[in-house]
Amino acid sequence: MDPKLIRGLEKLLGRDAVLSSREDMLLYEYDGSVELARPECVVFPRTTSDVVEVMRLARSFKTPVVGRGAGTGLSGGALPRAGGIVAVFSRMNRILEIDAENRRAVVQPGVVNLDVTRAVEHLGLYFAPDPSSQKSCTIGGNVSENAGGPHTLAYGVTTNHVTGLEIVLPDGSVVRGGGKTSETPGYDLTGLMVGSEGTLAIVTEITLRLSRTPEAVKTLLAVYDAVDAATRSVVEITRRGITPAACEMLDGWTLRTVEDFVHAGFPRDCAAVLLLEVEGLSEAVEEHAAEISDVCRAAGAREVRVARDAHERDLLWKGRKNAFGAIGRLSPSYYVLDGVIPRTRLPETLRRVEEIGRKYDFRIGNIFHAGDGNLHPLILFDPRHPGEFERCVAAGREIIQHCIDMGGALTGEHGVGMEKNELMPLMFTPDDLALMTRVRAAWNPDGLLNPQKVLPLGKGCGELRVLPQTVGSALPA
Amino acid sequence: MNGPSDAQLARLEQLLGAARTTTDSASLAAYEVDGLRPGAAVRPSSAAEVAEVVRLAAAEKLAVILCSGRSKLAIGGVPARYHVALDLSGMNRVLAYDPGDLTLGVEPGVRLEDLQRELAQRGQFLPLEVAYSERATVGGAIAANSYSPLRASFGSARDFVLGMEFVTGAGEIAKSGGRVVKNVSGYDLHKLLIGSLGTLAVITRVNFRTFPRPAELRAFIAAFAGHGAALEFCRTVANSPLEPRVFEVLNPVAAEVSGLAAQFPAHGRAWSVAISAAGSEAVVARHARDLERMTRAAHATHFETLTGADAAPPLRVVREFVRLALEHSPAATIIRIAILPASAGAFAERVVAIAAAAELDAALTFGASGTAYVALLPRSEKQAEASETSAAAAVTQILKAPSSDGDATRGVIEWCPTRLKRRIALWGEPREDFALMQRVKNVFDPHGILSPGRFCGGL
Repeated sequence: MDPKLIRGLEKLLGRDAVLSSREDMLLYEYDGSVELARPECVVFPRTTSDVVEVMRLARSFKTPVVGRGAGTGLSGGALPRAGGIVAVFSRMNRILEIDAENRRAVVQPGVVNLDVTRAVEHLGLYFAPDPSSQKSCTIGGNVSENAGGPHTLAYGVTTNHVTGLEIVLPDGSVVRGGGKTSETPGYDLTGLMVGSEGTLAIVTEITLRLSRTPEAVKTLLAVYDAVDAATRSVVEITRRGITPAACEMLDGWTLRTVEDFVHAGFPRDCAAVLLLEVEGLSEAVEEHAAEISDVCRAAGAREVRVARDAHERDLLWKGRKNAFGAIGRLSPSYYVLDGVIPRTRLPETLRRVEEIGRKYDFRIGNIFHAGDGNLHPLILFDPRHPGEFERCVAAGREIIQHCIDMGGALTGEHGVGMEKNELMPLMFTPDDLALMTRVRAAWNPDGLLNPQKVLPLGKGCGELRVLPQTVGSALPA
Repeated sequence: MNGPSDAQLARLEQLLGAARTTTDSASLAAYEVDGLRPGAAVRPSSAAEVAEVVRLAAAEKLAVILCSGRSKLAIGGVPARYHVALDLSGMNRVLAYDPGDLTLGVEPGVRLEDLQRELAQRGQFLPLEVAYSERATVGGAIAANSYSPLRASFGSARDFVLGMEFVTGAGEIAKSGGRVVKNVSGYDLHKLLIGSLGTLAVITRVNFRTFPRPAELRAFIAAFAGHGAALEFCRTVANSPLEPRVFEVLNPVAAEVSGLAAQFPAHGRAWSVAISAAGSEAVVARHARDLERMTRAAHATHFETLTGADAAPPLRVVREFVRLALEHSPAATIIRIAILPASAGAFAERVVAIAAAAELDAALTFGASGTAYVALLPRSEKQAEASETSAAAAVTQILKAPSSDGDATRGVIEWCPTRLKRRIALWGEPREDFALMQRVKNVFDPHGILSPGRFCGGL
């Protein structure tokens, strides 16, 4: 990188807000995915005008800018694939306003997801999207990736909870779209921005919709001796029109791994569990919990436990949300997929995933948002064995192809990033992708914002990209 | 208006055949927008046919306006040009319905009433209960982002549309989103089309998530002496665990013009609140109990629980409010405004004062989702003509009035007489992100042939 650019950034932001040494860059070359890309410089803006100045300067040096929150993303969204500047938002982490009566919060992008709920729970409010990484991931990252989480089954993903944005365009102009009100006349640019993975503009302020804490919550654990019985339960719950707040599945192998780590009380001898939560008016919660229990038992659950208190409930969720960490203890590396299928196709899809695992000789764990058909097959591999990573990617590709064949999607919540951009043609036609490319060019004409993400680079349709050498373990072992 | 030339008409007719192309002036009267009559109306039956028509229009610079149920053609600015009506009423098939997955894919010309009937057979529904229920179609309701009182509990279209296929103004068939309930693959281009009034693309397929019909539905009606008590009651309900399905507040004029006052003579000149609750017997009974207690605490002058067939009339009133106001007063100006709960009281006072100064009646409704309707009603037909200037001034004042949080009120004039359209900014002050909207418009409709002039800032 041009030393003049680094000096310019230091002059703008102060020396304590710019990193460029090789050792420092190593800390920012990975995120939660299996991808790697090293920045040339990392900056820590404190204000929107810092972001504006960084954008202007970067543009004059024709240097890419990539936003980064906590780096928990699972598709390489925050990695500077073409080098350049990574703007880390950890210093823009203030909650600017809490408007309880109108149920809105205005926050900076570096605010940690769970901190929003912590700041408003005394008002009987919370922020609904709850990615498993919610203790560390940031709202800016959630907005860029349109993050989901277990409770998005009933409440929707990030886009359903964002009403306004302040953004900085590549030319340094600041634009506010949306606001506190739920709709504004004109095109829904906020809807376009959320989930655009930092390729259209940089988000510098977010207006969030807050939800009211439900009156009653019940958490159930249905225990199965066969995976099929668990997936059939999900199909039946969906078919009956019961929408639990969450409906998560862990297969036997995954839950044993989790249990060894978290000691959540999961039964070690089963083939699968469903972790279900119902929320709302106490009358509705009672009825739905009873109906779900009946459905699960009828489908073959050997036992349906109900968490007796908040402690038991928290423990079950701790097991679910720390699952990836638990698996990180077992395997040098793993690859998490994020395919989506229609929920009616769950039983056959899990059988197919198992077949693919056998074919490629991999252990594939399943821990996922069963209620909305969002699979997270987790393929364990050892990057030290030559060819294993490539085989792992091929297995993943076959699973994703199956999801698409079922009428599903490439990614439900992790984003396309640099992990799946070459797979986009599996889902979209050249015309679809050409239009998306033109939309990106209209906002980000020089391609300096998060380059080489979301859309395929090559002319080939769905061919596999040769992935870079992976980092060892994605999470500390 | 310079209509399409005979040669252009002949080429259009060649595309879809004479049976699906209308060129005689008398039949085209049905497609008039603000008094402008197109030179042709075409009825394609597939996305491929839509693409052919649009490509021809783009090549010949013919302006195209989309329609099917034709209940919303009066919305938006006077078209800058209008040559071809693209009538999608023939594209009315349900393309995919997976009741087990609660997902649905339909063509734009499907009438919502027909669709709801089909879904009801499988115990499901779509939370799009918009005005002009027997005419409104999926495409129109999405393109106009039509108000549905069910927004209070299900959100707006952007919350349950999963993806779309559409034809851009350049005639390319494209899609975004998908058919499953969770998906972040690629840009959510379809969100741009919701509420775009046909200015970006022709929607040829919409994928939705559907919802289970509740076991029980109850309606509740309450009356309050003034807006203070009515809005205080709203706050109480909003802060309670209750989950009303519909929650609409009507001022006395709104209750009168919509016929709600006639349904409940006991209300007199009161502020009314129409509510519904759905779910199991225990859930609706809980709503009935708690709402009665809350209305009493808020000094309601009337409270009534309505079951079975009795529940339908007040809910129909809130759903059809716009149409009922227009039927009552065809020269009405109807403004739709996004409003925050905390601003509702001050807003109501301001609107009534502005209207009174212009010697107009103001019918007002507030939905719990944050949408308000203001219908400015001339007191007589004669006055409608005479008071145009004052009506224009009143509308402009209402749209400009800042809300309590300092933002300008975000409003749009949904319906007004054509002659008034020429005197006011229907879409309010241009938004700060207008330049980005223009860029989006240029990407989707590079030749400017889709509904030119009808949208914000003349897009």
